[in-house]
Amino acid sequence: MSEVIRTVAKPPENFESKAWKFMRYSGFLLIPLVWGHVLLQDIIVGVHQIDLDYVAMRWASIGWRIYDTALLAFAFAHGVNGIRQVGEDFIHSPRGRRILNWALIIFWVTITAIGGIALIGGVAKPS
Amino acid sequence: MEIKLKVFRYLPNNGNKPHYDTYIMQVNPTDRVLDVLEQVRADSDPSLAYRRSCAHGVCGSDAMRINGRNALACKVLVKDLGTNEITVEPILGLKVLRDLIVDMDPFFEHFKSVMPYFINNEPLPSDGKERLQSPEQRERFDDTTKCILCAACTTSCPSFWANEEYVGPAAIVNAHRFVYDSRDRAAAERLQILNDQMGVWRCRTVFNCTEACPRDIQVTQAIADVKKAINSGKLE
Repeated sequence: MSEVIRTVAKPPENFESKAWKFMRYSGFLLIPLVWGHVLLQDIIVGVHQIDLDYVAMRWASIGWRIYDTALLAFAFAHGVNGIRQVGEDFIHSPRGRRILNWALIIFWVTITAIGGIALIGGVAKPS
Repeated sequence: MEIKLKVFRYLPNNGNKPHYDTYIMQVNPTDRVLDVLEQVRADSDPSLAYRRSCAHGVCGSDAMRINGRNALACKVLVKDLGTNEITVEPILGLKVLRDLIVDMDPFFEHFKSVMPYFINNEPLPSDGKERLQSPEQRERFDDTTKCILCAACTTSCPSFWANEEYVGPAAIVNAHRFVYDSRDRAAAERLQILNDQMGVWRCRTVFNCTEACPRDIQVTQAIADVKKAINSGKLE
C-alpha cells in the first residue's frame, strides 16, 4: 500500500489564521532583532556607555533606524495581538470583538507610525 | 490512614448556596478517590451526587477536579496525592447541576460539531469487504482513538473557561482521529469547521489538556497537527 502524503482542499484563510501565522513568522524575525538589540546595547556597548553621542551615531545610520523601527513594529504587534486574545476572553459579542480588533489595529498603526516617523525621519533640533 | 476530605456541594432549587462539606475519614492508601467518595455515600451522606460507571478508567464518567487537577476519580490513588487533605470539585467551565455533576451538553454539542464519525461515500472495494489501510496509516491517528470523552482536557483549558463557544481540545482530538484516517473522505469539511475563531485558533498551547488527559493522549500535539493541516492542506 502506498504511503503518499494525502492532500485536501485548504480552507480559505481568515483573519484568525492570518493572525496566528503572523505571530509565528514575525516571532522568527523578532529573535534576531531582539537578541541583536540586547547583544549590542547591553553587552557590546553596555547601558552605562549609552550617551547622546552614541545615540547620535546610531541615528546617523539609516540601517539602524530601519532596524529599530522593525523592532518596534513587530514587538509591539506581538503585544497588541496578545491584548486582542485576552480581550476576546472577556468580550463575547461579535460586534464588540470587531470594535476591539479595529481599535487595536488603529492603536498599533498610530504608535508604530509615531515611532517610525521619529526614528526614520529624525527629530528637528531645537533652534 | 486518616484523611480530611473536602467536597464541593450544591443542591439547586433548595435555597442552598454552593459550599464545601468536610469529612474526616479512615481510608487505605491504596484506595482510589472514587472509593473515598463511595465511602462517604455509604457511611455519611447518601445524597452526595457524582457520575460513575465502569470505575476502571474506561467510561470517562467520573472526571473531576482533585486537589485542583482534572482527573478520573477511579484512576487516582489516595497515596499518590501526597497529602492527607483531599479537595474534590466539579470540572470547570460547565454548569454545575448538582454536587460534582456538571451539564455535559455544551461539551457534546462541540463534539458533534466536528462530525466525529466515519464518512466515505465511495463504493466499497471490488471484493465488497473492508477498506484496507496499512499499519502505518492506522498508526498515524492511533493516539487520538484513545479519547473516552471524559472532558478532563476541555475543562482544564483556560480558553474554554473564558469562552464556552470554543470548540475545545476534546472535539479537536476527535476531529483529528478522522481527519488523519486514510479511509475517511471528509477531512476538508472538518478542517473548514475548525478554521474558525472558536476553532483551533483559540488554542494558546497552554498544555493543560495534555497534562489532564487520563488516557495520555498528546492533545496539544493533535491540535498542532490540525493547525498544520489547515495551513498546508497536507495530511502528513
